[in-house]
Amino acid sequence: MQTAELIQTVTGSAFKTSVLEGTGPIAVEFMSYGCAHCRVLEPILQQAADRVKAREHVFRVNVAVERELAERYQLEGTPTLVMFLNAQEVGRTEGPHPTLSGVMSAITGPFDSLKQGS
Amino acid sequence: MQTIPAPILLFNGECAVCRSIAHWVGVSAQGVPVGARIDERPIGDDPAALRSLNPDLDIWAAYETIHLLMPDGSMKVGGEAVAEVLRSLPNCRWFAWTFDLKLLGFRPFQLLLDAGYFVLADVRPLLGCESCGIPSPPVKFIRSLIDRLLQARPGKTRAPHFTASNRAVKPTA
Repeated sequence: MQTAELIQTVTGSAFKTSVLEGTGPIAVEFMSYGCAHCRVLEPILQQAADRVKAREHVFRVNVAVERELAERYQLEGTPTLVMFLNAQEVGRTEGPHPTLSGVMSAITGPFDSLKQGS
Repeated sequence: MQTIPAPILLFNGECAVCRSIAHWVGVSAQGVPVGARIDERPIGDDPAALRSLNPDLDIWAAYETIHLLMPDGSMKVGGEAVAEVLRSLPNCRWFAWTFDLKLLGFRPFQLLLDAGYFVLADVRPLLGCESCGIPSPPVKFIRSLIDRLLQARPGKTRAPHFTASNRAVKPTA
């Protein structure tokens, strides 16, 4: 696993241990360095990751490298944020609005909805 | 930091326009001695590998703007990188000297080149590259007109901040 500031990049082998076997709310950004929308989102996602770091982990998967993960999660493009809880996908946002509020809503909304529902 | 024997031109390997330009540079540089020849390399997907070439090199910045890594450890970006590449090519040297020409403290031909690079960078999405940058509103408008004319985008409407990419999620062979 490589460390990139607040968002850790996970490779195929680390995905299982970090995301599927991880505890608590987890957000994964499926991205590619060659994706212009990912580039715009990057500093905002860093900010959002800083805000939620006490209660949520944020990871990054480079789909240009991790093709198998991209296929497994049936991604149709980038950036796609997928939220996991106890190894289950609980929410997904394709191309979140590149504002702090838009990203915060994308990465915390599914977990908040689950809390309210329970 | 790796020692670089010759300048390295980093290009977006996902972009057909960038690949064509890099290919043209390679072909034009034929006959140039190896040490003086620019080495074209796709940016790739490994931030650490890029930092090993130059610690100040950021992969996001490399995809956003053309970068030329110099053997002395410096970097040239944008129009300055293009000027340096043209200076190195035998078929462009005859006019590339003009980029150094100063008039009243300005370099008018370099300014023109900077403007040309800026325009090309903006219209690349029109030429088929979505990964180089998000087009400005006029370019977006023109592209939407072209898409409508060609009916190139049937199906569901995409989120506006999303690259529905056949490269980003290309199925494995």
